Amino acid sequence: MDHKQCASEILDAIGGRENLASAAHCATRLRLVIADNDKVKKETLENIDGVKGVFEAAGQLQIIIGTGTVNKVYDQFIDLAGVEAASKDDVKAAAAAKVPWYKRAIKTLGDIFVPIIPAIVATGLLCGLLGGLSRAFPSISDHYIYNILDLLSNTALTFLPILIAVSAAKIFGANIYLGAVVGMLMIHPSLVNAWNIAGGAETKTLWSWCGLWDIQNTGYQGHVIPVVIAVLVLSVIEKWLHKHVHEMFDLFVTPLVSVLITGFLTLTVIGPVFSQAESWVLDGAKWLITIPLGIGSFLMGAAYAPTVVAGVHHMYNAIELSMLADNGQNIWMPIATAANVAQGAAALAVGIKSRNKKIKSMALPSSLSAFMGITEPAIFGVNVRFVKPLIAGMIGGACGAAVASLMNVYATANGVTGLFGFLITTESFLGYLLTFAVAAGVAFIASWLMYKDPVTEGAKAETKPETAAKPAPAEQNITAGKSFDDTAVYSPLKGEVVLMQDVPDETFAAEVLGKGAAVEPSEGKVVAPADATVETLFDTHHAIGLTLDNGMEMLIHVGINTVELGGEGYEAHVAEGDKVKRGQTLITFDKALIQSKGYKTVTPVIITNADDYDEINTAASGSIDLLDKLLETKKG
Amino acid sequence: MKTFDYTIKDAIGIHARPAGNLVKLIKGFSSTVTIEKAGKPPINGSALMKLMGLGVKCGETVKFTVEGDDEDAAAAAIEEFMKANL
Repeated sequence: MDHKQCASEILDAIGGRENLASAAHCATRLRLVIADNDKVKKETLENIDGVKGVFEAAGQLQIIIGTGTVNKVYDQFIDLAGVEAASKDDVKAAAAAKVPWYKRAIKTLGDIFVPIIPAIVATGLLCGLLGGLSRAFPSISDHYIYNILDLLSNTALTFLPILIAVSAAKIFGANIYLGAVVGMLMIHPSLVNAWNIAGGAETKTLWSWCGLWDIQNTGYQGHVIPVVIAVLVLSVIEKWLHKHVHEMFDLFVTPLVSVLITGFLTLTVIGPVFSQAESWVLDGAKWLITIPLGIGSFLMGAAYAPTVVAGVHHMYNAIELSMLADNGQNIWMPIATAANVAQGAAALAVGIKSRNKKIKSMALPSSLSAFMGITEPAIFGVNVRFVKPLIAGMIGGACGAAVASLMNVYATANGVTGLFGFLITTESFLGYLLTFAVAAGVAFIASWLMYKDPVTEGAKAETKPETAAKPAPAEQNITAGKSFDDTAVYSPLKGEVVLMQDVPDETFAAEVLGKGAAVEPSEGKVVAPADATVETLFDTHHAIGLTLDNGMEMLIHVGINTVELGGEGYEAHVAEGDKVKRGQTLITFDKALIQSKGYKTVTPVIITNADDYDEINTAASGSIDLLDKLLETKKG
Repeated sequence: MKTFDYTIKDAIGIHARPAGNLVKLIKGFSSTVTIEKAGKPPINGSALMKLMGLGVKCGETVKFTVEGDDEDAAAAAIEEFMKANL
């Protein structure tokens, strides 16, 4: 094929150079960022000689050309288009820039929160449990075990700003220790605890910012957004200084100056802006719940979760305390419960509906925690990330809160919500139960209907020919937590184990090529079962021969008679002669495509030097995950 | 010692299945069989992985060298196998 011709036709079909934001390529694809997707003639693109497929993913237009030719077409392409050669990162950045700012902000918030979820889920559950138990049995709060557990349970939430700061520093590329310092500063013991201020603790004015506003000595316990912003500021200052400070002074000047400026700005600008916002929210909330007929509560029930997201919900305690002082009826707590359990139920729906293991493992415990009144894991770890569950939770919260208001539900104390709220709402048990049920039920159903698993680039690729995903980012983790020994063979595929004699091909079944077992794959990916050298890689990429570092020779043959596909549906991620590591992706393939062409995808894993072993036995049955034990061998 | 050349006619070349069958055949004889493709070092015909590693395609010629007690029978059997399958 004529590379120049191909490049020029592609350029025409995407709407000319004016419509091209940037271009890069990977092993098989041209990856373009397009200014206006409507100008792209997709059908024309697909019919260009040399183009094997076209699809859009991750903000990029990806054009599949194929190994060995894509780089040649790319060179011609950037010549013709007159654009700079971009690295894949540039293209990714340009693609990210096309995503609206608020979506990027939400994603960033999610990215920051996800790594710290284990810490807050663990202690959040304990926190909710202890809060409830001490309400039910007040006497236990004197017990030493309770006191130890209590200390443990609130540690993560007490020091939440530090956890957030460290995670944010990682995301923003700041030094994580400097990030930690900024987080610590915000909850320094010398500052008055934000939770206590709601309870009436005195603060004093430290300084007046040019007479414009007063700086209070208030801590930022439980805050999220101010911490993230502070660390963002830190990262910007730190990076600028790294560039501009002479190397000789960089080590002490940069940390000193960046922490100094960030710290000062945090306490005098970022913090006060948020305290001001908090008091506005408080005033707004107080006014809102005075609207009769449940309308005010309805609105507050919806608005509650977003105020938690913004981190300006800390003053709500003050509302509850003033209500209790007034007439002993805390009508705020049922609203908070409605909002909290609704977020929990929305996350629960995600947890049940999602097929993604990672999302499941996050959503289920965080929803449990939300039912006990600790909503941060559910809101930040799940609902905000996918947005729709947050909205579902807001709808549920609104409905629940309206019920609470209409049935005049009130609590006789404060401090707990959710399940344990039953303990302080004994005077309006039925109403509280109904509030709970409506909030959770509505949110669950809404979330169930709205939520869909995010379509990742990899998942999307699986439905297209020859576009199987790039090495998955989670790759390095698949060996984590497993132990390996030399006499066993670990499965290079995920799927169902098939005995060799049951493979529907007599060459394999009769073990002509060697002994082993087969896997009917559930995912189109072959990984290295151990550290090895790629001995043979067929041009058609349907089979690969490895010599493992322990001397074993192995043939992994994806599908039966699939040599006839001539490479269609397969993508190799390694080359002959490559040294590969255990777990490294070798081949990806499009299972659906291969089956649609009438081929079986059952994949024999064969030890071709079987004569060197006394025994080779299948060590698994049923479903098998990547790198689970597949075969056992014995050698004399 | 017997040698002969064979040019592959099968469209797909020596892929996994015929390679396996060829190796099985070769292992049945006591003679040593060396297979050589131009531009690559010769390989032992009973080493499946090496044989597949040659990547012999349609139109390419391989040279067989058979040496041992049963070299006549082995060479004949191999040639017959190649003609029948490749």
